[in-house]
Amino acid sequence: MIKLENVTKVFKGDVVAVRDATVDIAKGEFVFLVGQSGSGKSTFIRLLNREESPEHGTIFVAGKDISSLGAWKVPYLRRNIGYIFQDFKLLPKKTVAENVAFALEVIGKPRHVIRKQVPAILELVGLADKIDNYPNELSGGEQQRVSIARAFVNRPLILLADEPTGNLDPQTSVGIMKLLDRINRTGTTVVMATHDRGIVDTMRRRVIELDRGVIVRDQARGVYE
Amino acid sequence: MAISPIYALRETGQNLYRNFMLSFATIITIGVSLWLFGGFFLFNYAVDNATARWEGGIEFVVWMNPDATPEQDAAIRAGLDDNPGVERSTYIDQNATFEEFKELFADTPEMIEVVTPDVLPPSYRVVPSDPDADVVQELVSQFEGRPGVRDVVSADETIRSIQQQADEISQVFLIGSVILLLAATLLILTNVVSAIRSRGAEIEIMKVVGATNWFIRIPFMLEGLSQAVLGALGAWVGLYFLNTRVIEGLGDRDALELMQGFRVSDSEYLSTSLLVLGIAVVVSGIGSMVAVTRYLDT
Repeated sequence: MIKLENVTKVFKGDVVAVRDATVDIAKGEFVFLVGQSGSGKSTFIRLLNREESPEHGTIFVAGKDISSLGAWKVPYLRRNIGYIFQDFKLLPKKTVAENVAFALEVIGKPRHVIRKQVPAILELVGLADKIDNYPNELSGGEQQRVSIARAFVNRPLILLADEPTGNLDPQTSVGIMKLLDRINRTGTTVVMATHDRGIVDTMRRRVIELDRGVIVRDQARGVYE
Repeated sequence: MAISPIYALRETGQNLYRNFMLSFATIITIGVSLWLFGGFFLFNYAVDNATARWEGGIEFVVWMNPDATPEQDAAIRAGLDDNPGVERSTYIDQNATFEEFKELFADTPEMIEVVTPDVLPPSYRVVPSDPDADVVQELVSQFEGRPGVRDVVSADETIRSIQQQADEISQVFLIGSVILLLAATLLILTNVVSAIRSRGAEIEIMKVVGATNWFIRIPFMLEGLSQAVLGALGAWVGLYFLNTRVIEGLGDRDALELMQGFRVSDSEYLSTSLLVLGIAVVVSGIGSMVAVTRYLDT
């Protein structure tokens, strides 16, 4: 599903965020990206979403080389990739339902599809009773569930999560991880950057460790360190 | 997938509402600049129409002294009839001149009461064969100062003077409108950039979930277009009043002989109005495109 071949990403000032990374992630895998702050986890995720382009190497997503993808095709790539932010990035003036519907509306989905899919995904994430609430009326965990619903409402092949539990307490984080696990079991590939040792050690999924942009460990059913 | 018209209109309306004061200032600036721009064209059309009747018509007038002798009058008439540079001439006697005088001063009957036909000068209205200004001037000099001649007035000079003044006024209109159009373009750009910045979070989400660049751009471009079209509508109202109150008003004033014909035809008015709308679209297009291509990069 995702394949990186000798990928290097360098920022201004010769800061190497990812160095010569080669990784193959199969469809339906759940992968943790771990490492210290500044190790290149977020850049790794942004490369998969074409928010960044590599200086060297090739990135394949669903069999397509996205490193040479034309700019006008990038939006169509992103429709197959859900993205979960650490700080949720919900729109404060929209209700829960409107926040989720927004993701479908802006890719031109018809209204009857939106009306059907939004309640279904909110049911899946356990927020069916919060459909008309605004983000400021929700807890952190609930806000992250809305963010996940928005990322998954279009049923993407891949879900990228950049520290989705970073702003949440441990108990709430467990709930979020259960939800991501449930989504993963539907066949969706999940790549998640995290600092949360407890979660990684509990779930025992594939772990890729980065250190100053270099992949130093790639371990099936791994632990944090 | 195409952008939904409801979505585009809703987002455009929200953008306009969020930046209401700036939008209002932009619409006024566009309206005034387009009014000046359209006014430049209407004014030029009116001047062209007013002066057109003189071109190829009466080019100069030989005013005789009221007490010129029949011999002096005959000499001038013969001089005109025999002159190959004169296509035709018409004699306006003192009674006909008095009738014109009464028409010109219809608003001031006290003037008419004290004037009698015998004090008014008869005249020859002359149409030269060649309307070239230099040729006309040469003809004028042939009759100036001859016995019985009071004065020779070339319409060409008057027309030149009017055209020169009209040109100067037009230039002011044009320069003013171009400066304001530039300001309007910058205001549209600023407006769209402001809307983009105030919706930064939404735009980020739109990009992440896979909205196309055009889908993101269209509401912002429609915002610029709406401002320009509203400005053009304001300019149309201004141009309507300029045409019906000022231009037609000047053309209707009997006292201003030369201003008769100072009018704009329906087709000229329509083409000017459409041009104003076209310029509005171009201005909004430039302002919006610069804003969205510079501030909405992928």
